[in-house]
Amino acid sequence: MRRSLISAFALVSLLAAGGAARAATNVLVLDKAEDPPTCDPGIEISNNGYTLLYPTYERLVRYKGGSSDIEGDLAESWSVDKDGSTWTVKLKPGHKFDDGSLVDAAAVKFSLDRTMKLNQGPAGNLPSLKSVTVVDPLTLRFEQTSAFGPFMSTLATFGASVINPKAMAHEKDGDMAKGWLADHTAGSGPYRISSWERNQSIILDRNSNYTGPAPKLQRIVIKIVRELSARRLQLEHGDADIIEPVPIDQADAMKGNPKLVVESHPSFLAVYVYLNNKKPPLDNVKVRQALSYAVDYQAVVKEILKGQGVQMRGAVPEGMWGHDPNGFQFSYDPEKAKALLKEAGVGELKLTYTFSQAEPTWEPVGLAMQASFARIGVKLELQNLADVVKRQMQAAGNTELSAGTWTPDFADPFMFMNFWFDPAKKGGPGNRAFYDNPKVTELITRAAQVPDQAERQKLYVEAQKITTPDAPYLLLFQENNVFVRRAAVQGFVYNPMLIEVYNFADMSKTD
Amino acid sequence: MPFAQFLRRLGFAAIVVAGVAVITFAISHLIPGDPARMVAGDRASDEIIAHIRQVMGLDRSLPVQFAIYLRDLLHGDLGVSLRTGRPVAQDIATFLPATLELGLVSLILAVVVGIPLGVASAVHKDGPIDQLARTVSVAGISMPVFWLGLILILVFYADLDLLPIGGRLSDDVLPPERITGFMLIDTLIAGDPEAFRSALAHLVLPASVLGFAQLGTITRQIRASMLDALQEDYVRTARANGLRPASIVFGHALRNALIPSVTLLGLLFGDLLYGAVLTETVFAWPGIGTYVVNSIQSLDFPAIMGFTLIASVGYVLINLGVDFIYLALDPQLRRAAS
Repeated sequence: MRRSLISAFALVSLLAAGGAARAATNVLVLDKAEDPPTCDPGIEISNNGYTLLYPTYERLVRYKGGSSDIEGDLAESWSVDKDGSTWTVKLKPGHKFDDGSLVDAAAVKFSLDRTMKLNQGPAGNLPSLKSVTVVDPLTLRFEQTSAFGPFMSTLATFGASVINPKAMAHEKDGDMAKGWLADHTAGSGPYRISSWERNQSIILDRNSNYTGPAPKLQRIVIKIVRELSARRLQLEHGDADIIEPVPIDQADAMKGNPKLVVESHPSFLAVYVYLNNKKPPLDNVKVRQALSYAVDYQAVVKEILKGQGVQMRGAVPEGMWGHDPNGFQFSYDPEKAKALLKEAGVGELKLTYTFSQAEPTWEPVGLAMQASFARIGVKLELQNLADVVKRQMQAAGNTELSAGTWTPDFADPFMFMNFWFDPAKKGGPGNRAFYDNPKVTELITRAAQVPDQAERQKLYVEAQKITTPDAPYLLLFQENNVFVRRAAVQGFVYNPMLIEVYNFADMSKTD
Repeated sequence: MPFAQFLRRLGFAAIVVAGVAVITFAISHLIPGDPARMVAGDRASDEIIAHIRQVMGLDRSLPVQFAIYLRDLLHGDLGVSLRTGRPVAQDIATFLPATLELGLVSLILAVVVGIPLGVASAVHKDGPIDQLARTVSVAGISMPVFWLGLILILVFYADLDLLPIGGRLSDDVLPPERITGFMLIDTLIAGDPEAFRSALAHLVLPASVLGFAQLGTITRQIRASMLDALQEDYVRTARANGLRPASIVFGHALRNALIPSVTLLGLLFGDLLYGAVLTETVFAWPGIGTYVVNSIQSLDFPAIMGFTLIASVGYVLINLGVDFIYLALDPQLRRAAS
């Protein structure tokens, strides 16, 4: 019996052997943990979905190389009127969609109108857009509800991807082709989706009508492999060329393998703690400052992040304009913290830190704070909740300390300052500390309207000189973005605005 | 089964399914968390959230929402998934066959190996075969699926390079036209031996892992009921009458020992659905388990409701099936029924 069992297994194995074929050098295999929800520019808001939107669509502007500055993609040039509310954009001629039809001003208008009409997450990234007018086939005019400095930056967001209006042939029951565009693409980018087996694999093939130089990689295969160890084995085995996400400890373990390259880069992902500024005693600035002095930042970065990150200095992260390299930064100083608590006149203090398992660093951060707060006589209770429940409680202002992360949707300090500190955005939208300082509100509101970047920079730096010592949040760290690729993969350029996004069109493989 | 009794069974089944619908609807709407925010993202403005709530019908009262849900359900419409934006029925039709295929193949593996192993172990009680069978069944029951899965991956994929992992087909094989959703059958219909081979290769490891867990339960059950059956008077009588041992074991004892196993198989098939979640994760198998877990995490209640309903209808049907098989196996029941 046993022998026949083994021989049956061996027979099937033999029959099946060779099933694991290595990909050719013009095919790149990317292993992801989750299937992207959709690839509809008007709906999608996850980095996972941006993996697909970046190479399949073009936008008016794009990020220049690894920086957060923008340059023309479909746009040739742009200008703004004096009061900063009307922008005129000229298109480059000759860009084509994957069906060969021309990208013109009408297509741009169609795409932006569609995103605004769907009015979902991506529309929120075009907060000031009132109307789009076609001036001539290569010229557009954008009217804003009021002057809005970051406007051109918002056109680099994925909700501003330009869709072929012919996609509307697939419209069903007035859904603006939502059903079809959820897993098909109709863009002018270097690739197009040629098949999508849900939860299994997505195949991107070269768009033969692409205007730029033909990419070296003919095909991109995105495989959905949930289990980290399976992803890692496939990478080590050469069945995958890039895997993501990779937790920091695992990346550490893969560093020794000469065939692999661990990509670890500073990102704009901020990990911080919301202090509920409405709730006593956290409404007292001295208590907030005391807590800010009671976090051992260096130990957190060294132990929890294994050094793959930096402590934050102000709300605008390092690497983005508007960051103040000379700004104030809290350091670990338990004596000062104790003194501040005494000044605040609070005795025994018991607080609760609410977190979920959505971010791997939240729990260790809680444990670290629990230990260091104890040294200044603050007892911290840890409350671990399901992520949806945690978010609901935060949005409603029912937490004391709670865990948070933030990434910008467009490369502008607006994404940090005008979300974190604007009293009009209290709760879910961004001001999760329920912070309200009229002077700050005035500065950031002005900074959002002025078109001149140098002036805006000054205003944002000035605002941070107030917000950082005011300590509405515990500013912990900017975490590196980490993934692992085979050394054979060449040409990847990291951009902190483009997480889980790859410049496939410029990449190649040596074996 | 007389017609009246059949109708009564069917009536009970309908009540069970309706109850499941009410309970799932209530639970999925009462837990905290705003699905509109899940769709639009945390930082969406209140105006966008309000718009989405209206589009999704979340601004209406719960009873009204439930009434609308039931009305659509009666038209065969399970609603649209909040997460994927596609009709739930379409999503389930996409993912369920992969899980059923994996489940059925592993169940067949478990039955084909488990029943003979159980019988042999009962017939040779305390002998070496019995020792082996008992070890196998304890191992199968107690070994965590994800652990065994990883070990098999290490051996057969990483070290021996014998079998592939990840998905149902290799990247270089064109998927066959989707007819049944069962890859083995669809590749055969398409007459594509290369694709069939690839589909089979991708099934070997996950089906072995999932099957191994059930093998333990089946072997143990068959062994126990065979031991009981072999003590029975009719077996002694058969022996005394000089019947051949094979005929006693298979013709008399096994037939009776199988009756409790049928219930067990029905239950095991249900277990497959959640055993599959772990197996699907380890082997990147694009089945319904992954879909349901993702749906739960993002509070996608049309998807949760849709799956729960389909699963409960499945359970009810399996139970009805088990009842029919009983009738075929047990003459006493047949007599009682008529």
